[in-house]
Amino acid sequence: MALVKYFATLREITGKREETVRGVKNIKELMQLLINRYGDKFAKELRDRAMILVNGKNILHIRDMDTEIEEEDVVSIFPPAGGG
Amino acid sequence: MYGYHGKIARINLSTGKISVEKFDEKMAKKWLGTRGFGIHVLLKEIDPKVDPLSPENKILYTTGPLTGTAAPTGGRYMVITKSPLTGYIAMANSGGFFGAELKLAGWDMLIVEGKAEKPVYISIRNEEIEIKDASHVWGKRVSETEKILIEEFGDKHAQVASIGPAGENLVRFAAIMNNGHRAAGRGGIGAVMGSKNLKAIIVRGRGRVELADRQKFISVVKEKTNKLKNDPVAGGGLPKYGTAVLVNIINQNGLYPTRNFRSGVFEYAEEQSGEAMAAKYLKRNKPCYACPIGCGRVNRVGVLEETEGPEYESTWALGANLGINDLASIIEANHLIDDLGMDTISTGGTLATAMELYDVGLLKQEDLGDAPPFRWGNTEVLHYYIEKIAYRQGFGDKLAEGGYRLAKMYGGEEYFMGVKKQELPAYDPRGAEGHGLGYATDNRGGDHIKAYMISPEILGYPVKMDPHDISDEKVKMLIAFQDLTAVIDAAGLCLFTTFGLVGDDYRDLLNAALGWDLTTEDYMKIGERIWNAERLFNLKAGLNPREEDTLPKRLTEEPMPEGPNKGHVVRLKEMLPRYYELRGWNADGTIPKEKLKELELDEYL
Ligand code: SF4
Repeated sequence: MALVKYFATLREITGKREETVRGVKNIKELMQLLINRYGDKFAKELRDRAMILVNGKNILHIRDMDTEIEEEDVVSIFPPAGGG
Repeated sequence: MYGYHGKIARINLSTGKISVEKFDEKMAKKWLGTRGFGIHVLLKEIDPKVDPLSPENKILYTTGPLTGTAAPTGGRYMVITKSPLTGYIAMANSGGFFGAELKLAGWDMLIVEGKAEKPVYISIRNEEIEIKDASHVWGKRVSETEKILIEEFGDKHAQVASIGPAGENLVRFAAIMNNGHRAAGRGGIGAVMGSKNLKAIIVRGRGRVELADRQKFISVVKEKTNKLKNDPVAGGGLPKYGTAVLVNIINQNGLYPTRNFRSGVFEYAEEQSGEAMAAKYLKRNKPCYACPIGCGRVNRVGVLEETEGPEYESTWALGANLGINDLASIIEANHLIDDLGMDTISTGGTLATAMELYDVGLLKQEDLGDAPPFRWGNTEVLHYYIEKIAYRQGFGDKLAEGGYRLAKMYGGEEYFMGVKKQELPAYDPRGAEGHGLGYATDNRGGDHIKAYMISPEILGYPVKMDPHDISDEKVKMLIAFQDLTAVIDAAGLCLFTTFGLVGDDYRDLLNAALGWDLTTEDYMKIGERIWNAERLFNLKAGLNPREEDTLPKRLTEEPMPEGPNKGHVVRLKEMLPRYYELRGWNADGTIPKEKLKELELDEYL
């Protein structure tokens, strides 16, 4: 059971700040599940330069979409963002 | 010459003399504008060892070729002087509407020198410049000063850049403010105005900037504006949540400095995030001159019907860095700091130093008397000390010297989290090591703006780099960021355009406006020249690279205690020699003669 956290516009699309998700092995499966659940709007928001972290580490520096998700992991998903 | 008026006003406050000087395309092509013009004048005209608060220091208000044009975000100006905080160069940038107005009045740059006998302000109506008595606004806060001067001027479109009580009282991190809440914030430049008895500059300009090919320029502007509008960050995240959208991002990535950089994870980040601010306090967003992005926040909180900000940096400096969890108080404190005319980052950083000194027992309650204790998380600190700093009252007088000098007074230098005596901004480099190298080598000391490596290391623009990679690729990226930033600054644009534009886009805008045919590499060379010239000034001012191109020990020796970056330090010792070499500098951090020659800087030796 992984904890998935949403930020910025993703909170409006999902109507949630976070939720627990079961039965997914990796990020690819998680994203499929979430896109099925929240539809096009969710997918579109993440199309370009989104950020996905597993326990605070960017999946691009782990195994990208193949990054495994274990029990107790925290997955944070951000739409593209910047500031400074 | 297009894009420039070729006109500089030299205003001597000691003698009251005002003269007009001209410059030609050679100077424009060498330095582009703002920071470039500024460092050229400083190197030519002041002794780098001068006391920053003496009449011999000069303060320059500069614009770029795109300032005052329709280029997206083309409203920026920069103030360049020698900093009373660092003792090195200060170049602070601000948005709002002042910069464009100055340019439209017909001026590329003002050089202000000397010291007025009594408080004065400078009034500019197109080519007409006067020095006027400011005794009736001396002591007034920024919002009131702006109101009174605009009324007196008799034109509500006039724009004001002024100092508050902090600048008058020579607080070492006093800012110059315009449009109420827009700050040329860092390096204590407000104190330089204060030291010259210069309260404000008010300007109204009704001219325009001549362009090489207006038709072509407008079509390039349209194209770049659309690019920004369609960008998910510049056209989406920034207008919607402002810069504070970063609070959650940086905290989740484990580099949100907490309690004076003791940790990189703040347990209350969510409650003071951009999302929380938008939900609770946001009235609307607010753009600067010619800006299609509009990252500015207009908030409503408590008795404040309207205030602007806080930005990400300020939210952090007055929140997580002090362990404070009270967003309403943070917004109010931000408002107060703006109105008193101070830099929010250095204000927060100095208070954090005091908190740690108190925590470890070097600063004692008896040093404070009845004043509130500097306990982590104590909101009273914001309500009580901010005003005391601006007026240099009680313990505020010591705080007004900044974190470095405060820590030294109490024998706890290692608790000052800054570089070259300037307080660090809101990223713990143990979670972004290239950004740490940026802090260590920044010409204006602890600062994130002159090379925002968070972009590649965390946010993933223009490419995603591993925050813990310290290869030459990383060092080269930092150098490219430093040089490109100098170009964008010098052009007169806002750095947030980098979330949607790349080097070639700036080249297109500049070439269309100026009628030049420079390549992106040519512009980058100007950026490199500016960076090296600023470094040269610092070296002449006495910079000791071995001791000062560095980071606080905590960041290089104490591993991050928790979160995603647990166990990491910044491996500065490994990166710094590579940086010097890739810059073409000597191993001791000085610049070899050949390099200066290559960059046409040998005349400043
Ligand atoms: S992006 Fe923000 S800071 Fe930059 S010019 Fe626009 S509103 Fe001003």
